Amino acid sequence: MSRFYDEVVVASGTSPDMSPDKCGRADHEAPLTDDSQTRFQKIRTAGIFVLGPLSGLLFICLLPLMSLLIVVTLLSKMASASDGMQSEEAAMCMGCHASQDVVKTFGNKEKMSVRISERHFKDSVHGFLSCTGCHSKVSMDNHPSAQYASRKEFAVQISQACKGCHSHEQLMVKPMHRAAISRSNAPPCSECHGSHSIRKSAGWKEAASTSQYCLTCHKKDLSTSVNGETLSLMIDEKLLRGSVHSSHECSYCHSEYSKTTHPLREFKNKRELSIAFSGVCKGCHTDKYQQHQGSIHASLLNQGNRNAPVCTDCHGAHAVGPKLLAETMSGTPCRKCHESTFEAYKSSVHGQAKMSGNTKAPICSSCHSAHQVMPALASRSPKATCFGCHKDAAALHKEWLPNADLHLDAIACTACHVPEAEHTVYLRVTDSSSGASINKAKLKEYLGPGYDDLTSAGKNGLDDKHLWTVYQQLGDKKSAAGITGTLGLQDCNKSHSLASKKWAVKQCDSCHDANSKFFKTVAMAIIAPDGHEEHYAVNRAVLGSVITLLPINQFYAIGGTRLRFLDILGILMVFGGMSVPIVHLTLRFLTIPIREAKRLNKLRREGRR
Amino acid sequence: MKKLYLHPMAVRICHWLNAFSFLVLILTGIQIRYRDVIKVTSFRTAVDIHNIFGFILIFNFFLWLIYYLVSGKFKVYIPTFSLKGFLLGCIRQARYYGYGIFVGEENPHHSTPDNKFNPMQQVAYLNIMVLFIPLQIITGILLWDLKGFAYWIGLAGGVKIVDSVHVLLYLFFTSFLFVHVYLATLGHTAGEHIKAMFTGYEEVPEHGHSH
Repeated sequence: MSRFYDEVVVASGTSPDMSPDKCGRADHEAPLTDDSQTRFQKIRTAGIFVLGPLSGLLFICLLPLMSLLIVVTLLSKMASASDGMQSEEAAMCMGCHASQDVVKTFGNKEKMSVRISERHFKDSVHGFLSCTGCHSKVSMDNHPSAQYASRKEFAVQISQACKGCHSHEQLMVKPMHRAAISRSNAPPCSECHGSHSIRKSAGWKEAASTSQYCLTCHKKDLSTSVNGETLSLMIDEKLLRGSVHSSHECSYCHSEYSKTTHPLREFKNKRELSIAFSGVCKGCHTDKYQQHQGSIHASLLNQGNRNAPVCTDCHGAHAVGPKLLAETMSGTPCRKCHESTFEAYKSSVHGQAKMSGNTKAPICSSCHSAHQVMPALASRSPKATCFGCHKDAAALHKEWLPNADLHLDAIACTACHVPEAEHTVYLRVTDSSSGASINKAKLKEYLGPGYDDLTSAGKNGLDDKHLWTVYQQLGDKKSAAGITGTLGLQDCNKSHSLASKKWAVKQCDSCHDANSKFFKTVAMAIIAPDGHEEHYAVNRAVLGSVITLLPINQFYAIGGTRLRFLDILGILMVFGGMSVPIVHLTLRFLTIPIREAKRLNKLRREGRR
Repeated sequence: MKKLYLHPMAVRICHWLNAFSFLVLILTGIQIRYRDVIKVTSFRTAVDIHNIFGFILIFNFFLWLIYYLVSGKFKVYIPTFSLKGFLLGCIRQARYYGYGIFVGEENPHHSTPDNKFNPMQQVAYLNIMVLFIPLQIITGILLWDLKGFAYWIGLAGGVKIVDSVHVLLYLFFTSFLFVHVYLATLGHTAGEHIKAMFTGYEEVPEHGHSH
């Protein structure tokens, strides 16, 4: 603005009157004598002859200089004619806008300082303009107090002024502008460029790194609309700098974007955008990406569940933290979706250890793996996972548990180590040689229409006769498939509430009793195409049914799941055995008279003799 | 009355060791299988005792087998090779138990050291000693270490079948025990056979009566 003031000084200053007329008149007013007149005339004549040519020479020499001076002065006068007004206007505006105290309040109670930094404006590309050049509604005579709902709306309205000089066509030439202003809720110009301190991009673009260039706009509170959903485009620079990717330029991941390119990409919704952008991670993290592809998460995603997690859901998009962070109670990303499971974990012996500061204590990814997350199968014992850390578990169990290996095979670790949970006996159709579950598709192939019997048994569940039919059908197909059983927990989530081993089930009677609560429910577990397990009710009576002697020949707890048929047979046999002496003794008692008579007859015969 | 030395010392020891083992195995068997009905000891205690006496029984079985094979007394268990003679003997013995005993007939069989058992006893004890007890021993050993004998259990048709066979034999032995003890009272006097099983000597009438 000082330029204005300089000009104001030039315009308002008075020039000294240097006209030759006024000098001459002063000479004529002095009194003169004859000698002096003669001398004067001589001098005058000589002067005319000397000074005349000199003056002419001087005049000729100075003429172009004078002309130049006149032109400059005239131009200066012409320029100062308008500048003079600007300066006045600027001085007037700055009379208020230089003050820190002038604040505008918007409709939403937002406040904004309306102070203008004179120095910044002077340095900006618009430093030559007057205030009203942009703020056309404001003049020295008129300063309407416009009301705006918000700061944002104010910025949008004021930014309209830019169009006065920068045409739409001109803006659309630059990819960044095209990307920004093509959006329905395009940010106002000031969002990226600022308002009064706009610098020419050519001056700094070359020197700036790609990230710096991108952040020029993206560190601002930018947002866009993706089919009605608001998507923030703001990148928190601090988080970005603190991320494990801090050394990467933006275009390292966003390879199609650079200082010169900014393609417009269309997405159905925000979720699709996240999924698409997560694809860039595989460029570097190929192994992790492939592991994820084999996970239940990718499986769900491919089946159409677009909420299934992708890279950014767990790691974040720009604030990607170190691996160790994901292994902390507060940093583990799994809890975002699996909150109830995480709560169960928190109360477990593992969670408690973690919270007490034991960094080695397992967290979600320790057991489930971080990327190749497999579906939780209630019918399977997590033995291999547990033994990964508890390497001496098998030996410790053998110290006190008879047939320890068998128990560890047939019973999920969680069945004993989450003592309060409800249990279920899971039956699975498995390949007899490998022990792997036969999946749904294969099972349908083996059983044909019989598959429906397996899955639509109703409230009471599949009964022993149907189970026998299934067994027969499997045998007919020569499928080498059998039915195996495992004792697990009814609710997978409860598996995470692992208690300290001092609370684990150790009493044999807990299972080896027909009244055991462990065998109250039975379910058939079938592996669905996505890897999940589907459970279908099975009547618990199948466990003790003689019909299932062959179909469920592997799962058996002495006393706990004993055959009811043998109970009845046992009663008959024992009572039969007891009845022999009772009946025989009774008959012997009843026939005493016969034997007595015979003895007497014999005695009589012997007496006669 | 005359005294017959029917049961040598080795036989008596085997018998009573067997008897005691059977009793303990039956009682602990109840504790293992029917805990919902009766609970005297813990499952673990019952299993431990059952295992110990199971092995005692196995040891005893082999003592019995070796003794009978070496001494040549095993033939007392072998019924006559004549099918007709065997069947007639069985019918005659069955007739005695089912009729003759009530009307005061004599037991058609007279025990001697070389011919201890009547045909029905022979077929019963032969089956018990050569078939049932070995089968019970085998199934018992399989159940004792299910994982170690998984292959054999698989061949047998699964743990459920192995256990069912073990339980069926268990029920048979339990019910047979009542019959066995009752038959033991059918000697010259009610305690005669039992006493002989302690002393080895059985007093038989001069004309020779036995069960």
